[in-house]
Amino acid sequence: MNNQVGQISIKALIALFFSVLICSNILNAQDGEKLFKQNCAVCHSAHTDQMSTGPGLKGVFDRVPKGDWITKWIINNEKLIKSGDAYATKIYAQYGKAAMTVFEGQLNEKDVEAILNYIKTPPVVVSAASGNTSADTSEPSEKTNGIDPLFLILGFIVVLIILLSSLRSVRTSLQNSNNRSEGIEEIPEQTFWKEVKAWLSGHRRLVGVFVIIISFIGMKSCWDACYNIGVYYDYKTQKGYKPEQPIKFSHKLHAGENEIACQYCHSSVEKSRHAGIPSVNICMNCHKAIQKGPQYGEKEIAKIYAANGFDPKTATYDNNIQNPLKWIKIHNLPDHVYFNHSQHVVVGKIECTTCHGNLKEMTVAEQKAPLTMKWCIECHRKTEVVMEGNAYYDRLHKALKEKYAGVQDVKFTVEKIGGLECGKCHY
Amino acid sequence: MKKYYKTIKLTYAISCVALLMVGFSSCGKKDENSPGVEFMPDMYRSPSLEYYSVHTVDGDTLNNAMKPVSGSVARGYLPYAYPNTPEGYEKAGLDLHNPLNSELNRADFEKEGEILFSKFCIHCHGEAGAGDGKVSAKLPGPPPAYDGPLKNLPEGKIFHSITYGKGTMGSHASQLTQEERWKLVYYVQKLQGPKIAPTDSSKIVTSR
Repeated sequence: MNNQVGQISIKALIALFFSVLICSNILNAQDGEKLFKQNCAVCHSAHTDQMSTGPGLKGVFDRVPKGDWITKWIINNEKLIKSGDAYATKIYAQYGKAAMTVFEGQLNEKDVEAILNYIKTPPVVVSAASGNTSADTSEPSEKTNGIDPLFLILGFIVVLIILLSSLRSVRTSLQNSNNRSEGIEEIPEQTFWKEVKAWLSGHRRLVGVFVIIISFIGMKSCWDACYNIGVYYDYKTQKGYKPEQPIKFSHKLHAGENEIACQYCHSSVEKSRHAGIPSVNICMNCHKAIQKGPQYGEKEIAKIYAANGFDPKTATYDNNIQNPLKWIKIHNLPDHVYFNHSQHVVVGKIECTTCHGNLKEMTVAEQKAPLTMKWCIECHRKTEVVMEGNAYYDRLHKALKEKYAGVQDVKFTVEKIGGLECGKCHY
Repeated sequence: MKKYYKTIKLTYAISCVALLMVGFSSCGKKDENSPGVEFMPDMYRSPSLEYYSVHTVDGDTLNNAMKPVSGSVARGYLPYAYPNTPEGYEKAGLDLHNPLNSELNRADFEKEGEILFSKFCIHCHGEAGAGDGKVSAKLPGPPPAYDGPLKNLPEGKIFHSITYGKGTMGSHASQLTQEERWKLVYYVQKLQGPKIAPTDSSKIVTSR
C-alpha cells in the first residue's frame, strides 16, 4: 500500500518535474523570442530558410557542428573564426565574409540558450484559409457600376418609336379593312417619316419653340462641356482622374496606416520642381524585408522584384535587369506652364494635402484638384504669404511694409508679390 | 416658306451636334481610367524628353528611369571614400568625422536633423529612436534602439549606415544629401544620449 503510494508520488513527481521543465522551456522560448527579435531578427529569419542579411535559421541545428559550437559562434563569432574552426571559416567565406555582430558582453550563455530554444520551437501555424477568406472579402468589388442612364433613355426612345410605328401600321390596316368592307377608297400606304413630316408641318409654331429651347440647352451644355476639355477633374461629381497603376500601390496603407512621410518616397519635393516618383530602390528600403502585403500577398510586391531583378529567396540582385515601373502620371500640367514644387512647399509652406487631397485615405491615388489656371489664380488671390520668420522673404517683407505703411488691414497675398504676373508661370 | 424650313434645319443640326458633344464629354469623364477629352494633346504629352517617360530615338527605346550611364556624375555629387564592405564600415567608424561645424550651431543642426528624422527615419526607428515605429512591427525584427545596443555607435558608422544601409535597412543616399545625412547624425547622437565608457576592454561598440 505504502509502496503503491510511493510509486504514484514518484510518478507524480516525475510528471511534475517534466511539466515544469516543459513550462520553463516554453517560458524560456518566449523570453528567447523577445531576445531573438531584439538581437537577431534584423538579419535572420528564425523559422524559415529565407535569406535576408544573414541566412534563415530553419534546420540550423542539422547544419552546424553538434555541442556548444553554436553558442560559441553566437557569443563571439570573430574569435571562433580566428581560432581556425573549420566550419566557422567555411560559413564565413560562404556568406561573403559579412561579419556577424559580436554579442560578447551583451548576451550570456543563458540568453543564448533561450534564443536557441525559441529557434527550436516551431511557430504556431495560424490557419491560412481563414486569413485568405478575410483578405478576399475585403477586396473591393469594382464592377458594380450600373448601366449608364443615358443609354437607358436612348433605349426607351427606340422602344417607343418601334411601338409607335407598329401601332400605326396596325391602325392603317384596321382602317383599310373597315374601308374595304364599307366600299370606301383605301388609304394609300404612307411611310412613317412622311407622317411625321406631315405632323411637324401641321404644328410649326410648337416645333419652332421646341427646337429653339433644345438648341439653347444644347449650346449651353456644349459651352460647359468645353470647359471640361483638358481638365482631369469634374467639379460636379468631385471625381478626378484615377487610373489603374501598374502596381496596386495603396497610399492609405503606406502613408496612412504606416505613417510614412510623403517626403520619404517623393524626396525631391523640397529640392526640385518635381515631387518625384520614387525609383524602385526606395521601395526596396522596406520591401527587401517585407515581402508580403496584407491584401494582395506576394503578388504585387513581386512586381517590384521583377523590376530590379531581386531574388527574395537568396536576397541578391541580378544587375542585368532594369525594368523601371511605368507609373501613370496623374497630375499633368501642359508644357507651357511652369510649376515648382520646392517653391510651394519650402518657401510657401503649402501642405501636400492642399492640392493633392488626403492621400492617407486613398487606396488608389486620384486627382483632387482641377489644376486649371482659374484654380491657380483663385488660390494666389486669397492665400496670404507667410512672411514672418521666413528668411526667403526678409527683404521683400521690409520693402512691402514701407510701401503699405499706414494702410490698414493689408494682406500680403501671393497676388501682392507678383503671383499673378503672366511671366511667373508662362515663359 | 423654304427659308423657314432652312432655319429649322440649321437649329436642329446645331442642337444635335451640341448634344453629341455633351454626350461625348460626359462619357469620357465617367471612366476614371481616362483623363477625358484633351485639347491639343501634344501640349500635355510633349515630344521633348520628359522625366519618367519612355521615348524611342532611332529605334532605340530610352527609359528615363534607368540607372545613369556609368561614369556620369550628378550635380553636387560628393565622393564618399569608404567602400560598402565590413572593412569600410569599421574604417569609417574610426576615421570619419562630422564635417559640419558643431561648435557654432549644433542645436540648429539637431533641429534640422529632427525634421529630417521625422520624414526619413521615424516610421521604422520610432520617435525616440527606440525602434518602435509603425513599420518596424512589420519587419522581421525591429531596428535596435539608439539608446540601447547602438548607444556607443561612432558618428562615422552612423553616416556609413545611412549611406549604404545596414542589415535590413536600405541605402538612403539617393534621398538624402551628404549634408543632410550629417545633420541626421547629430540628431541620432542626441537620441543616443551621453556615451557610456566601455566596462571592459572588449568591444561593446556593436556593429549591427
